[in-house]
Amino acid sequence: MGRIGFLLVTLCYSLAEFSAAFAAESNRRVIIYDGTVTEVSVGAQGSKDLWITLTDLTKATKFEVKPEGVCTDKLCFPLPEARKKEFVAEISGGTRFNLSEFARLLKQPVAHDAKHGVWYFGPRPEVQNGFLATLAAPKFTLPDIGGKMHSLADYRGKKVLLITWASW
Amino acid sequence: MILSVAEDTGGVKAAGPSITAAKPDYPVLIDPEHIVTRLYNLVNVPTAVWINKNGRMVRPPEVAYVDNRYQFLHRLDAGPYIEGIRDWVTNGEKSPFVLSEKELKTRLQAQSTDHALAAAEFGLAEYLYRTNRGKDAVAHYKEAQRLNPDSWNFKRQAWALADAEKDYGTNFLKEVQKLGTKPYYAPRQLPEGKKN
Repeated sequence: MGRIGFLLVTLCYSLAEFSAAFAAESNRRVIIYDGTVTEVSVGAQGSKDLWITLTDLTKATKFEVKPEGVCTDKLCFPLPEARKKEFVAEISGGTRFNLSEFARLLKQPVAHDAKHGVWYFGPRPEVQNGFLATLAAPKFTLPDIGGKMHSLADYRGKKVLLITWASW
Repeated sequence: MILSVAEDTGGVKAAGPSITAAKPDYPVLIDPEHIVTRLYNLVNVPTAVWINKNGRMVRPPEVAYVDNRYQFLHRLDAGPYIEGIRDWVTNGEKSPFVLSEKELKTRLQAQSTDHALAAAEFGLAEYLYRTNRGKDAVAHYKEAQRLNPDSWNFKRQAWALADAEKDYGTNFLKEVQKLGTKPYYAPRQLPEGKKN
């Protein structure tokens, strides 16, 4: 083959690997849902919506597609019968779920960065605003400066003056 | 008891020095993802929420300074509010500063669609910043600020992570001056007879 031929073949393989890596990279998406960050692959779809596998749906959101609807262990959301194909479809040889359309159905706020393939799903309105009906102080768990975790619930039984501040 | 939370994307690095210097004898938590801001729909700091022994809110989020060092800026007197806290500590649910459920519900508002989307954009921006894509986070911080222009948290945190003038075309002082006579903090509604 000769040295130049060898170099050309090597270059072609390197470019091919780079292209494959880039293609794989460009099909990767990051989903942030209920504070959990999950990386998924969307396959080569060219859709503006976020179509993910059923396995990734559960991994990212804890939702599962069932005959009665899209469900967690605590609740189910039925899909509109006439529009099911907008939510569940066979794409690239596999069953995929349209998480962005589901968010629209649930009136969830969604922010998307196309360049980095990141999708941020905010809480459903009834989750965000639920405390307005009960006045139960929304719960949280956060670390102190030493990394020890504290929950608001730890202080039940005491009056709590919750006060926020910032270094800025 | 006091439960203090630093709403700081910079985490321990940003909030730590203040905590160390203060040597508090109450828990001080660090919230780099602004979880408390989002849960309680907070728009500024310092903000306090009163929570009774049963985990129920008894006053809405309100500005809560311990003294009047910044009174020149916000024109509020910290005294009556501190007095209210002391009254609550002593008298509990019988304090006139404790709001009835009915009254408290009139003072709290559901998050609007725009504000919900603002929080999502802010969350996305925070994620990009935390994963070393701060330059690309700016567009999302700006969108959060556009959707919820009342949130000083969304503005000031974003400015603190960038060159405010260069990336946002403004700074804190300029934005405060734009307020004119409009208050920097939403006025507190204290029991009748208490100055604010």
